[in-house]
Amino acid sequence: MLTPPPTDTVIVGCGNLLRGDDAAGPILVRVLAERELPPGVRLIDGGTAGMDVAFAMRGARRVIVVDASNIGVEAGTIHRVPGEELTDLTPPEGNLHRFRWDQALGFAQWLLKDEYPQDVTVWLVEGESFEPGDVLSDAVQASVERIADEIAADVLADHGGDLGER
Amino acid sequence: MTTMDLHVSPLGQVEGDLDVKVTITDGVVTNAWTEAAMFRGFEIILRGKDPQAGLIMTPRICGICGGSHLYKACYALDTAWGTYVPKNATLVRNLGQITETLQSVPRYFYAIMGPDLTAAQYAGAPSYEEAARRFAPYVGTSYQKGVTLSQLPVEVYAIFGGQWPHSSFMIPGGVMCAPTLSDITRSHAILDHWAREWLEGLWLGCSVDRYLEIKTWDDFTAWMDENESQHNSDLAFFTRYAQEIGLDKYGEGYGNFLATGTFLDPELYQNPTVEGRNAALQSRSGIYANGQYFDFDQMRVSEDITHSFFRGTGSRHPWEGVTDPIDPADGAAQDKYTWAKAPRYDVPGMGYVPLEVGSLARQIMANRPDAAPHQDSDPFVADMISKMGVNVLTRVLARVHEEAKYFKLAKKWLTEIDLHGDFYVKPEEKQSGKGFGSTEAARGALSDWIVIEDGKIANYQVITPTAWNIGPRDGDENHGPMEKAFIGTPVENPDFPVELAQVAHSYDSCLVCTVHAYDGKTGRELAKYRMGGG
Repeated sequence: MLTPPPTDTVIVGCGNLLRGDDAAGPILVRVLAERELPPGVRLIDGGTAGMDVAFAMRGARRVIVVDASNIGVEAGTIHRVPGEELTDLTPPEGNLHRFRWDQALGFAQWLLKDEYPQDVTVWLVEGESFEPGDVLSDAVQASVERIADEIAADVLADHGGDLGER
Repeated sequence: MTTMDLHVSPLGQVEGDLDVKVTITDGVVTNAWTEAAMFRGFEIILRGKDPQAGLIMTPRICGICGGSHLYKACYALDTAWGTYVPKNATLVRNLGQITETLQSVPRYFYAIMGPDLTAAQYAGAPSYEEAARRFAPYVGTSYQKGVTLSQLPVEVYAIFGGQWPHSSFMIPGGVMCAPTLSDITRSHAILDHWAREWLEGLWLGCSVDRYLEIKTWDDFTAWMDENESQHNSDLAFFTRYAQEIGLDKYGEGYGNFLATGTFLDPELYQNPTVEGRNAALQSRSGIYANGQYFDFDQMRVSEDITHSFFRGTGSRHPWEGVTDPIDPADGAAQDKYTWAKAPRYDVPGMGYVPLEVGSLARQIMANRPDAAPHQDSDPFVADMISKMGVNVLTRVLARVHEEAKYFKLAKKWLTEIDLHGDFYVKPEEKQSGKGFGSTEAARGALSDWIVIEDGKIANYQVITPTAWNIGPRDGDENHGPMEKAFIGTPVENPDFPVELAQVAHSYDSCLVCTVHAYDGKTGRELAKYRMGGG
């Protein structure tokens, strides 16, 4: 009764809708919500509540995290980071307002232990502006559409091309 | 005499970082400056937008208390438009506010206080080993259970709100949900499970009802030793251990408090107005200053920008508030030092004074005489303060005390929802008007002021609990409440000033910092100490 309904794949968009390109993750979740996705795929607007991203992963076989990056490369640059790169994360110190995706994954490993998802992928899109009130830059908007296409195709292939009963 | 400066500086990431500069003389803090290092221009973003933009935007201000932002943003519009709010909607809004706070407090206690309590410098305390066994981050027995179970209350929020965080399901005129009987049953089951496993099982060591028989500090100390289960509870252990490590000795502040109150009564607030709000509150509003109670009047709130990075000096009421940022370098030349404004309240006979907000303020208002039947009336925290004073320990005890009370309220409200009644009545969207909405987030009074002209937002001002507590000096050079609470704090080891973290964390403010300790004479950095934010 207390466990959430079974979810196979969780797609989490992280970031702050109010801070320009930091909104890439939550906006991607909205873009995907308009697409046809297989049953068992759950979309989560993780916003800026990092610790809760970890709780949302419980019970999933597969997790896809999307977040903005600010590492100084060309705006719109997409990085796809495989799960095996993320297996040795030290959990962050108690700091609830400032979980990044990597800290959320580290926290999730601690929290979920044996239930940590088998398959974790992280998509990062480099932002141009993180100013409060800015809309997505053109470069990031285009990259969000591209990541949405790739993720939609990916989860469909992962489910044998079956969109199931709608 | 030895004088040195401690400089608390940010790690430089999103979501509100705080610099605290502290002067230490002979091992005691003698002056303090809190410097919010980031400009948050939400008021500027909202200007000119659709009036309902506040419902979408303000819950994104914070990843921790988005539900509280939604609650008050909604009432700001309800009062501006003069809506009708069905009783069911008020109950569901209250459930949203209360479940978010139920979640926040155990996370705060274990994830924020836990690392402080197990700091190496307390290793000599008689109960240190036991504290580490329970509270050490990630490995402590209580830490694991408390944090792991903390998600349950907001699962109830998500049943009504669709998601947590950042839901926008509260709208003027009601809420966007249509709960079923199984939603109610499931909500009861989730809360009962959480109470059994954590609140009663681990935290209190007794039933919520037994705990709530406590009315005085003497009752509380008797409760601690009444039986083995209560003696061994996290609450009783923390209270003993906190006194071993001196948390009852510092962090006093002004001893003056403000609560704007929350949890509107469903019967009494079907037609929300600013004037009718105080009487309709279940958790009461009020001011307690110089030992006297005063009624809360939002017209007496102002924000002073004398020492903030905004153009000009002096103070304004939020409806007339201006957010006109300047270059911090220019501001520094005008003795300005922070991006936070200084919220102040005009107390009759005292003028504009800084006031502390949070659980302690709420629970002091709960002791005010003449509560109406629907209002919270509880003498425990006020009695505790009269015996123990205001300090880090009592500020934390006031916060955790509310968990038991809030659990009972949440359960009661679940039984009062009429599944066949209305949850929303479409309001008329007025082209102009002024509104005020407020609530008590876990961390204290959280309020929005909105001015609507020509169907658009002409002005929008948010005052957060963190601004009340960590705001700077005002035009009269009165320290902000947390600045004041730092003063007098003993710092045993400047290389590792855990006491400053304890004071900051006792407010559970939404800010993150690292303490850099500098020798005042040479300017050499002595040590770094990171303080996690709430």
